[in-house]
Amino acid sequence: MRWLDRMVEGSARSMAKRTSRRSVVGYLGALLVGASAVPLLPVARGATPPPPKTDDKAKQVDDPTSCDYWRHCAIDGYLCGCCGGTQDTCPPGTQMSAVTWVGTCHNPLDGKDYVISYNDCCGKSTCGRCMCNRNERDTPLYIPFQSNDYNWCSGNGKANVPYHCSTARIVSVAK
Amino acid sequence: MLLLAFLSATAAAAEPAASVVTLPQPTPPHWVWINDFVFPHMVSGKAMLVDGDTGRFAGALDTGFGSMRLVPSLDGKVLYSPETYFSRGTRGERTDVISLYDTAHLSFISEIQIPAKRSSNLPMMANAQLTDDGRFLLVYNFNPGQSITVVDTHTRKFAGEIESSGCALIYPTGNRSFFSICADGALLNTVLDDTGKAKSNDRTDEPVFDVDKDPVTEKAVRVGDTWYFVSFSGLIYPVKNGTVQPAWSLLSAQEKAAKWRPGGLQQLAVHTPTNRLYSIMHQGGLYTHKDPGREVWVYDLNKRTRVQKISMQHDAGSIQVSRDAKPLMFSIFIESSVLDIYDAISGKFLRSVTDVGTTPTVLVSP
Repeated sequence: MRWLDRMVEGSARSMAKRTSRRSVVGYLGALLVGASAVPLLPVARGATPPPPKTDDKAKQVDDPTSCDYWRHCAIDGYLCGCCGGTQDTCPPGTQMSAVTWVGTCHNPLDGKDYVISYNDCCGKSTCGRCMCNRNERDTPLYIPFQSNDYNWCSGNGKANVPYHCSTARIVSVAK
Repeated sequence: MLLLAFLSATAAAAEPAASVVTLPQPTPPHWVWINDFVFPHMVSGKAMLVDGDTGRFAGALDTGFGSMRLVPSLDGKVLYSPETYFSRGTRGERTDVISLYDTAHLSFISEIQIPAKRSSNLPMMANAQLTDDGRFLLVYNFNPGQSITVVDTHTRKFAGEIESSGCALIYPTGNRSFFSICADGALLNTVLDDTGKAKSNDRTDEPVFDVDKDPVTEKAVRVGDTWYFVSFSGLIYPVKNGTVQPAWSLLSAQEKAAKWRPGGLQQLAVHTPTNRLYSIMHQGGLYTHKDPGREVWVYDLNKRTRVQKISMQHDAGSIQVSRDAKPLMFSIFIESSVLDIYDAISGKFLRSVTDVGTTPTVLVSP
């Protein structure tokens, strides 16, 4: 299902670029850094009109670095997209856990439910950025593969057990 | 220079030579251990000790990577701490140990090496427990195979490992017995022999909990021979000698309609002398079972009725009640570092202690 993963992610990413509050802030920030030697702030403001008033929550649903991103409905940890990786890749120098917990999240973009695999990235100390805890369909520790309270770096080859961050990878459309 | 020399001489005369505080032993009942797995820096877990009567921060221990929780010995003289270390910080060989600390000096006594597979998870009391007589320390393993490590506290040696495939955590029921909960809602009842090996290890034929409709959380509390589990919706399931008793609800129909439900990390506490159950409550929908609450509701376990509501100063995610006749209630939340202290009988707020750790998890009474 990697093709589906890539396809939906591509869609989400482009949507995020169009609508995300974070992307607008990032763009403004880049402009400001680039312009710091000259007083261009008013120009930058003028060149980038404020985005139309829409629901912030709706924007964050499309933003992989937001806790409200639709795939994050059962995540518990630091978002890899804020730590040098993305929602489906690990940051440099870490290892992706082979086993993990799965959740089922609703994607408001296409109205479908998806099975999401929350693979942890392992081998470095905790990232510490973009902490997110949501618990839709989360189960207690005695049902491990639907529980977000485990450190899924457990038993993970050379990176057993330091936890760095969590991804949210699409496995399939939920039936 | 003359002035400096005078000040220095005065200070030297006023204060004793280098000295270190010694703590009362056993640790007084109104003191509490706050365990912290320091989520932003998991390699440096710790546990902190606070005197509930004064709010004084009494000391701390370093407890390694993904710190779980301290387990006090029955005589209150030793703390057992399941810990994980790597030979190079976050790299190199992983070593798991039970570290033993002296409660009078908070100093390291010795360590017992155990299989490097203890579970790394959001800390729960059921991750590590003593048998009722204090002889064996039991530690839950997950890698992701499941088992229980047994440590003999008399010989201070690793005693063995017991398979618990499909079943998790530890709920002691006697000097040589405990149960674990299985993924289908069955119980795995284990009986130990006097060397810590499994004499029997039997799953119940049928699930005793419905894990699909309204699962119980793993954050149960115990009074005597009964473990009290609470479901996501607020049903209390007493488990007595391996048998589930009829469930009863923490909530009236009106309270349920108003979406009150229990939640939190260490969401329940008990006070055995008065047979009272304390539950963190909040208003929220399904899957808010880990949310903190601004109220603690108190129940008489004999009558199964609520006797009190306590308004909390701050969000409460973990609560603990001291074991003595005039108990204190402690409250903290993983996203805060303020420990709140209450009179557990009147519910009166007494004091707060600030800057207690980074991501405090479970509270342990000595």
